[in-house]
Amino acid sequence: MNCEEFANLALEAIVYGVGPNFDAASEHLRTCPHCASLYESWQGLNGGLRELGQATAGASAPSRVEMRLRQEFRTIHKTDKNRERAILAAWLLAAATFVLVAGAMFFWRQQHGLDTAKGTVAPNSTVPTVANGPELGGTMIAESDGEQFALIPGAIPALQDETSVVRVQMQRGSLGALGLTVNEEHANDLVQVDLLVGADGQPQGYRLPESNN
Amino acid sequence: MHIEAQERDDVLLRRSAKGDEEAFTQLYRRNQAQIYRFALRMTGQPWAAEEIVQDVFMTLVREPKKYDPTRGPLGAFLYGVARNRVMKHLERQPREFSLELKDSEGETRMLEVVDDRTPAQWAELRERREQVRSAVLSLPPEFRETVVLCELEEMSYEEAARALECPVGTVRSRLHRGRALLLAKLEMLRESPRRANAGR
Repeated sequence: MNCEEFANLALEAIVYGVGPNFDAASEHLRTCPHCASLYESWQGLNGGLRELGQATAGASAPSRVEMRLRQEFRTIHKTDKNRERAILAAWLLAAATFVLVAGAMFFWRQQHGLDTAKGTVAPNSTVPTVANGPELGGTMIAESDGEQFALIPGAIPALQDETSVVRVQMQRGSLGALGLTVNEEHANDLVQVDLLVGADGQPQGYRLPESNN
Repeated sequence: MHIEAQERDDVLLRRSAKGDEEAFTQLYRRNQAQIYRFALRMTGQPWAAEEIVQDVFMTLVREPKKYDPTRGPLGAFLYGVARNRVMKHLERQPREFSLELKDSEGETRMLEVVDDRTPAQWAELRERREQVRSAVLSLPPEFRETVVLCELEEMSYEEAARALECPVGTVRSRLHRGRALLLAKLEMLRESPRRANAGR
């Protein structure tokens, strides 16, 4: 082993007393004063490092660091909790508003639906027939066939089960009063009209049976 | 909330992230000393080491998700954060370091070991220690951190490689080079008083 090999490969091995080069390095050390001096320096360095290591081995951060960190930790997590609470409150508020609006809409639609039901007769509803015709000229009892009635302007719709259907014969010109356009050439022709008559005897709706067409 | 002593760091960190202060304290007490020593040995300044420890653990408080348990132990992650802080600190510092440790009040602070040495032996020991400290602090940072971890912190090459995020071979070569540089520095430090005395 030469001095270069000793410095590069074996010095560490001999200083720490380990490695495959230990024996060869020991032999070189006995014969080379230069490497012996280097070895001494290394040993001195090792000792110095060990002493320095021991001198600072017990060092640890002062307790004020822990206090500061814990304080900071509390502040951060308190802020987080407050933020979470604020978010939760906002969501609750939004949910409550939604429920309120939905409830209001539901009731409004229910109310509105009821009004609509009052204004129209369901196509398939069974309208009770009446034995006695109203006093609107030639009368004829008719059963509901599912066709819808048009509301007579100004009439107040009654409940469905309080109405009856009456087929009447009237002059075509009279249909103008119901808001229909009448050809004046045929104004005197007689046509059959189904009237929806309320419990008060007032007609509420009308329809033209297919036999007129 | 009671915390088992052997509870894993990542479990403690998860609890800490949820606001468990005791878990955070446990985590801090478990890891602070090694980070402080590393910072102190790298910077040579207790106040800087204190700041670095605080920075490192604040990272853990503010960004706990930065630590990925699958990539290694928490200790190695903390060393990584500490290294970054140390490097930033060293970039801001002048190249010369004081030979003495000063605490945050600027007072000289020496770590004393109680034994039965004579005052002369004590003086020699102190001088040698100061020379070594000075030599370590004058090393380039990449060699210094390797020497600090392997020689002073007595980490294995594998542990140091994990902490420094580099291959084991790099640790080995840096340590070898670092020791050679240390030797040269110590020789220089020992030669300069002799030269000064000879010149008189």
